[in-house]
Amino acid sequence: MTKPAPVYVLGGAQTDFARNWSKEGKHFVAMMREATLGALEATKIEPREVETAHVGNFAAELYAKQGHVGAFFVEIDPVFSGLPTSRHEAACASGSIALIAASAEIEAARYDLACVVGVEQMKTVDSTTGGDYLGTAAWYEREAKGIEFPFPKLFGRLGDEYDKRYGLKDEHLAHISAVNYSNAKRNPNAQTRNWFMSESHAQHESKFNQVIGGRIKVSDCSQVTDGSVAIFLASEKFASAWARRHGKQLADIPRILGWGHHTAPLEFDAKVAESRDNAYVLPHTRQAILDAFKRAGIGSVAELSGIETHDCFTTSEYMAIDHFGITKPGESWKAVEEGVIELGGKLPINPSGGLIGAGHPVGATGVRQMLDCHRQITNSAGDYQVEDAKKFAMLNIGGSGTTSCVFIVGK
Amino acid sequence: MAGNNKVVIIGANGTMGAGAACVFAGAGYSVTMLARSLGKAAEGLTETQNDARAEAIAERISLGAYDADLARAVGEAAIIFESLAEDLPLKKQFFELIDKSRRPDAVVATGSSGLSIAEMARGRSDSFRRNFMGVHLFNPPNVIVGAEVIPGPDTDPAAVKNVVAMLTKRLGRKVIVTRDMPAFVGNRVGFKVLNETAQLAGEHGVAFIDYLIGPHTGRAMAPLATVDLVGWDVHKAIVDNVYANCEDEAHESFAMPSYMSAGLAKGCLGDKTPERGGFYRRAGKEVFVLDPKTGGHEKFQKPAPIEFVEKMKQLHRVGRYSQAFSLLAEAKGAEADLCRRVVLGYVSYALNRVGEVAASAADVDTIMSYGFNWAPPTAIVDLLGAKNTVAMLQKLKLKVPATVEQAASRGARMFPGGVLEYGRTFVG
Repeated sequence: MTKPAPVYVLGGAQTDFARNWSKEGKHFVAMMREATLGALEATKIEPREVETAHVGNFAAELYAKQGHVGAFFVEIDPVFSGLPTSRHEAACASGSIALIAASAEIEAARYDLACVVGVEQMKTVDSTTGGDYLGTAAWYEREAKGIEFPFPKLFGRLGDEYDKRYGLKDEHLAHISAVNYSNAKRNPNAQTRNWFMSESHAQHESKFNQVIGGRIKVSDCSQVTDGSVAIFLASEKFASAWARRHGKQLADIPRILGWGHHTAPLEFDAKVAESRDNAYVLPHTRQAILDAFKRAGIGSVAELSGIETHDCFTTSEYMAIDHFGITKPGESWKAVEEGVIELGGKLPINPSGGLIGAGHPVGATGVRQMLDCHRQITNSAGDYQVEDAKKFAMLNIGGSGTTSCVFIVGK
Repeated sequence: MAGNNKVVIIGANGTMGAGAACVFAGAGYSVTMLARSLGKAAEGLTETQNDARAEAIAERISLGAYDADLARAVGEAAIIFESLAEDLPLKKQFFELIDKSRRPDAVVATGSSGLSIAEMARGRSDSFRRNFMGVHLFNPPNVIVGAEVIPGPDTDPAAVKNVVAMLTKRLGRKVIVTRDMPAFVGNRVGFKVLNETAQLAGEHGVAFIDYLIGPHTGRAMAPLATVDLVGWDVHKAIVDNVYANCEDEAHESFAMPSYMSAGLAKGCLGDKTPERGGFYRRAGKEVFVLDPKTGGHEKFQKPAPIEFVEKMKQLHRVGRYSQAFSLLAEAKGAEADLCRRVVLGYVSYALNRVGEVAASAADVDTIMSYGFNWAPPTAIVDLLGAKNTVAMLQKLKLKVPATVEQAASRGARMFPGGVLEYGRTFVG
């Protein structure tokens, strides 16, 4: 196979994930609009230059009783009327699927500039109803119907599976939570930036830190978040012209160096059955990472400067640590204990605060991770900048480890 | 600041004291909460734990009573935060005690929302006065991140710089430095508008004014509902202080309406006296609204919809804030005139404080946006267009701020950020 054409990441913008757009009396199109206008402003791209738009969204039909979400891109600016747009859905990996679709179009030379927007408005309903909606990211009839908060329970079982195979201490999960909350304090768009968290609070069950399902407490969970993120992907042709316009070299613009994408069986039991004899609990996630490494020409995880991973729960970050190859399978706790994953550590994970600290507007999360990779590579992440970041990876997961998407971003 | 991690909160059982404890302990400080008695301090801690939604915050907090613990705790602290009632003699009495036991490099901050910093520092030692300043947090401090720092006449600029850096970096505050004038910037501008709407309610009715000057004009909450939340007693203290001690172009806007004085005399303080209410009174699911003419409460009735208000709300709902303000600029009728008078009055009054109590338009924006959750005044100017704003101000016979005039003549935008920074303040 010939090497595909490069895909450049020009930058973008996100909404403040602490906002409650239902309290503001707003429709999700307002969120898409602010993120996209912010992205245009940040990149100095003119609306008329956008050629195609891809929207990542999980469940606007449920949260806002509105489908056809891709078409809402046209509502952002009259100039967008007539643009080809589409919406992509793969549960919490919706944003990444939108990124994959947009980058495939650039690689195929169909378009030179794509806008990718992730959006989710989740605070339209109470937490129990929202938890039920999130259950549709699993096999709803078999795994979620009639169960209160099905997803914490599924990811609690991921922890149980680790415990069974290798042993797992909850104190390591509590530390993962505390690190994410602590990083989020440095991120001006993080939902929890003004919240209290301490390792001791995360470790213990209490009035304010109740068990939600299995071994998962409130402090192990990502947030219910309203948010939108917009980012621009470009061909070499557009990126060259854009770089000249901004007095930059093409070599200074981050690119998608590699990607991986695999889908496992929907049901958690089926995943575990499939991986019974495998050292990795989620082998398809592992394969998505290896594919991305191979496409990016990366030999090992040591070549990365940092990772934005999918910590929908502390157990999913625990899984990511060994699946990325930071430790041997089952030994993620070593990286946790040694401070490897902390900001300032050998391989920081989620300097942004991740889904636990920064927030998790489901369909926007993959695009937010890509924007944070871009921020790191362009040295514009402010107080959560990883020093001298050269290559950053992101792992975005839909369902209980079902759809796994990985990107490597660098120059 | 003294090189340790210790903070003492005086008046820690009050809402602001407990809230400040939450913010300091949340940032990793070791906090001593002091009150009249250990029991009172413990009540404050419970509130702090509720604010933090974490019992574990107590691991960073110790409790004490003034008589037994003040001298020792103050003697060890790097920062002493006073959060007593807005009672000048009481505060001064405590500052005298603090002056006797504080370390010479300890910062002493008052959380006062508008009393004179110079007066509070008067009579204290040199080192006290050099390290004394106002640190005005907004309620509730674990949610509202705006903060004003107010140096006194003798405050060391280096101490101010350190405190601003600490508030910004460690406590996550959005900070402005203001002059030592009554109510500082945020409450001066904010309560001008709030009291003006209270005056208008005397004539036009409470529900109507809260609807007409509602969240669509750039605020998280309708103005009279905000006064109920703040409390009528606090409202009175602030507007009386400004009325008595400031002479400016909107002096009469600070005269508290007589129907509010009558309500206060009957013990109507707003939300904190739920049985007597304020502008609103709730009984179960029923809402009653004050009739300023009679002083009684009547069953709340939604005001008749006004076309331009409803259209503005619809436009905010889909994120088209600029079109919403074009509509406000062009709407016809007495209601639109009244709405414009209040909104443009806010822009005029706020930006005319630049060079007086506030250092810059950006500072006014910051405190109105992050202290009040109101639209930054320069963002409103940009949405209306600076030239158009000048024309509207002139037509309304409102004083045109120099910064707006400059922006109009240069054709420049005033608000330094983009829609992502101000969008949240327009509510549909």
